[in-house]
Amino acid sequence: MKSLLLIPVIATMLVGGVYLMADDDHYEKGNIKQRAAQLPVSPQQQSYIKECSSCHMAYQAEFLPKRTWAKMMNGLDDHFGVDASLTAKDEKILFDYLQKNAADSKRVGKHFAKMAASAGDTSLRISDTRYFKKEHRKIPQKYIDQKEVKSIANCNACHQKAESGDYRERGISIPNYGRWDD
Amino acid sequence: MKNLLLALFCAASLSAASPEVTQYIETLQSKAALADPAFEGFDAKRGEAVFTSEHLGKKGKTIACTSCHTVNLASKGENYFTGKVIEPLAPSANSLRLTSAKEVEKWLRRNFNDVYNREGTAKEKGDVLIYIMTK
Ligand code: HEC
Ligand code: HEC
Ligand code: HEC
Repeated sequence: MKSLLLIPVIATMLVGGVYLMADDDHYEKGNIKQRAAQLPVSPQQQSYIKECSSCHMAYQAEFLPKRTWAKMMNGLDDHFGVDASLTAKDEKILFDYLQKNAADSKRVGKHFAKMAASAGDTSLRISDTRYFKKEHRKIPQKYIDQKEVKSIANCNACHQKAESGDYRERGISIPNYGRWDD
Repeated sequence: MKNLLLALFCAASLSAASPEVTQYIETLQSKAALADPAFEGFDAKRGEAVFTSEHLGKKGKTIACTSCHTVNLASKGENYFTGKVIEPLAPSANSLRLTSAKEVEKWLRRNFNDVYNREGTAKEKGDVLIYIMTK
């Protein structure tokens, strides 16, 4: 029984693997070295990814300024209406990680910089920044509401490489719509 | 009676929870006994009710543990709020479950707050863990 169940799992993994490889061939030639160079992930980043990716993808610290992250980290027990609280020790590690890697703490790519620079003072959302709204205003609402996406906060539903911090247009594919040609 | 319960409990825990999680459950057991002298041990049937009953949650919406973990604990679930896939909760289907006391404590704190809009009691937490272990 158990092995029977395993077959579809393995099949999916294989298909997924082939798809990723094909995708890499098309779009990522020459980028492999660059990715390998980014690889050594610090223990702080590992903790961040583990703790902040259990309910949604781990959003890059570079998207928001220090003040926004500080506010978010001080209210984890009521995080967008849910309890995301941590032990005091883990909270401190993630607080420091986010402060150190926020958009206004180091040099960041232009999309990150524009997002953070247009962040307001009340909302803690990346998806509420002015630049974000401008970039996403042309997407018909039904593609956001559909169950494959569910929320505009699910970056990785459309940005196939969001988890590695790549939001370039050629990596965008909206479920039931396809590639986005602007 | 108490010994029998303990023996049953140990047999179940050996297969489904790590030593540190078993130890955590023992701490819950002491707390539950302290809170209620008539307490006779954790019960999977009560745990099932804890897990499947609906409540007005933290967000003001009717929600149950099963809203995210589904009624079949051996299958994948989906986060009710974000849509992210959740790996099976049953230790028989996911060997990583109930291996870290820190993870179990953290998620029970969060998940009870989200579903019951309050912390779970030691009795509720123990009952529901015993229930999950039978899955
Ligand atoms: C217990 C679940 C949970 C955990 C753990 C969690 N979050 Fe969230 N987070 C949510 C929910 C729910 C939302 C709202 C999602 C939506 O609107 O679709 C959210 C939204 C966000 C957003 C806003 C997304 C947007 O719209 O731009 C950010 C940023 C965020 N979380 C950061 C974090 C960070 C940093 C951590 C780790 C410290 C974390 N989250 C851990 C549940 C969680
Ligand atoms: C429903 C699909 C969808 C979701 C969900 C989504 N995006 Fe996008 N995003 C797009 C599309 C489509 C564009 C391109 C818009 C255009 O160029 O007209 C885009 C553009 C962008 C850009 C600019 C990229 C460029 O090269 O111009 C960034 C950065 C970005 N998104 C980040 C995010 C982040 C961060 C999230 C999650 C908080 C997110 N997106 C969620 C579809 C989505
Ligand atoms: C809003 C969605 C949601 C609800 C509702 C929910 N959980 Fe969870 N639960 C999660 C997520 C997400 C995780 C961690 C994800 C992971 O480790 O894959 C988790 C993890 C757990 C764990 C940790 C298991 C381990 O050892 O890794 C336990 C135990 C648990 N939940 C029990 C419950 C109980 C009991 C309830 C009801 C009081 C409940 N959950 C309700 C989302 C939910």
